[in-house]
Amino acid sequence: MKAYFALQYKMTNRKLRAAGVHPLLAYTLGVLVFVVLALYLFQKTSFAKYLFVLGYLSIVFPLTAKDRSDFLHTVFGDQENRRIRVLENGILSLPFVVVLAIKGAFWELSVLLLLGFVLAIFSFHGSTNLSIPTPFAKQPFEFTVGFRKTFFIFPIAYGLTIIALSVDNLNLGIFSMLLLFLTAMNYYLKPEPQYYVWIHSHTPNAFLFYKIRVATKNMLLLCSPILLGLLAFYPSNYGLLLLFFMAGLLLLCTVIMAKYAAYPRELNLPETILLALSIVLPPFVIFTLPFFYGKALKQLNSILHDKH
Amino acid sequence: MINISGLSKRYGRNVVLKDINLSFEQGKVYGIVGENGAGKTTLFRCIADLERYAGIITADRMPLKNHLGLLLTEPFFFSKITGAEYIQLLCNARHKTSVDIAAKNIFDLPLHQYASTYSTGMKKKLAFTAILLQENDYYILDEPFNGVDIQSNIILTEIILKLKALNKIVLISSHIFSTLQETCDEIHLLRKGEPIKSVQQADFEALAAEMRAVTVGNRVEELGLR
Repeated sequence: MKAYFALQYKMTNRKLRAAGVHPLLAYTLGVLVFVVLALYLFQKTSFAKYLFVLGYLSIVFPLTAKDRSDFLHTVFGDQENRRIRVLENGILSLPFVVVLAIKGAFWELSVLLLLGFVLAIFSFHGSTNLSIPTPFAKQPFEFTVGFRKTFFIFPIAYGLTIIALSVDNLNLGIFSMLLLFLTAMNYYLKPEPQYYVWIHSHTPNAFLFYKIRVATKNMLLLCSPILLGLLAFYPSNYGLLLLFFMAGLLLLCTVIMAKYAAYPRELNLPETILLALSIVLPPFVIFTLPFFYGKALKQLNSILHDKH
Repeated sequence: MINISGLSKRYGRNVVLKDINLSFEQGKVYGIVGENGAGKTTLFRCIADLERYAGIITADRMPLKNHLGLLLTEPFFFSKITGAEYIQLLCNARHKTSVDIAAKNIFDLPLHQYASTYSTGMKKKLAFTAILLQENDYYILDEPFNGVDIQSNIILTEIILKLKALNKIVLISSHIFSTLQETCDEIHLLRKGEPIKSVQQADFEALAAEMRAVTVGNRVEELGLR
């Protein structure tokens, strides 16, 4: 078990070095960003504690991937595997537990620990041949894969909208819409294998606009129940609602551009900081969107329209 | 027609392809053979423009990559994408949006299951179906017969012959020589990044015998099996 965690630590450090950051600097920055984000969220919204639970789940849920679970089970056996998984989820819960405990959110803290334990012990990846249906069959890719990986987010978001309408809380309604945008942004963070870009008979510019068009269409589809509900209950606030929707779209476009600006590698630290700045301070998009767009065109040109 | 002239490729100091000059004509099937590491896959990746290289590669239809169906040795599939969605994705990429995927499922694949749950052979058949439905002019098939059952191998062979009849250019690499004998008009033998021999159909048997002699040699005896 000790060897497993030592190896995880080594692998993390290798990834950080490959991204051009010294591990010590990355850990320090990570803690700093986490603290600042926690202070910011708890100051800005009363839903911060739920966001923290969701944030924790979004980190530990991918660890339950079937291939990974099978590998650990084969190597360590039943008991050792469970111990590793519980400890792993426990270690990852530490920063979230500390923040929730300081903020006195003990009920949410208990839910977080319970969910972490359940995800460590039980496997949710059966060998079923069924696939989760999605409304994105005509343009299957990021949203199809992402929707299936984060399907639990959608009942939560739509449920929050219903609660928002029933308790007359517009902010909560807007938050539920932004939650969908944050989820969709996550679909574009990992670069796909080069083959999946290469297959397109588009110019780099047409490729990027195709990606934006599909993302916009799919976001409109996902957000329409929330948007229509809020517009029906708060017709006088239509300007504000559309502003948030447009801002969400603009940020999603920025994430897409950032992904292909770094492509085929993952985003490095400076690019991640720029992107994070754009999300926290949306007006920053005026600078980051054209910057990432220019870089994305250059990166894609070598794959879609190579000039040797 | 695809023309390759003076193609070279190196990774650092390691030269993988050396001054390759080859021509591929419409309506013909070409086999590319060689030992592991001979440069077959790198040659394919250069033709597909997936690698930077020195030299010139031209085709009647340019950019070549936009008219090329590329079957990789080990196609990659996302964990949550179904067979039908994979085909749709590849067809969309070539602006073919109204393909009747279910009607063209000739390998009887479970198209509504996640492709990542398919067996090796099923994955290869899915990837092959997808590039066929893209209606390309050129095809590169890197080890298309690997892991595929005998029945499907027969269908694969017939499809390759049909592509030939449709005036397409097909390049195949395979370690199963008999499959090349059935489909190819010409075979190019690569060794250490260089084409050392081009053989026409009439001499395939002799090439197979020569390859067997060079490859096996005295090695089995050296094992001293008892």
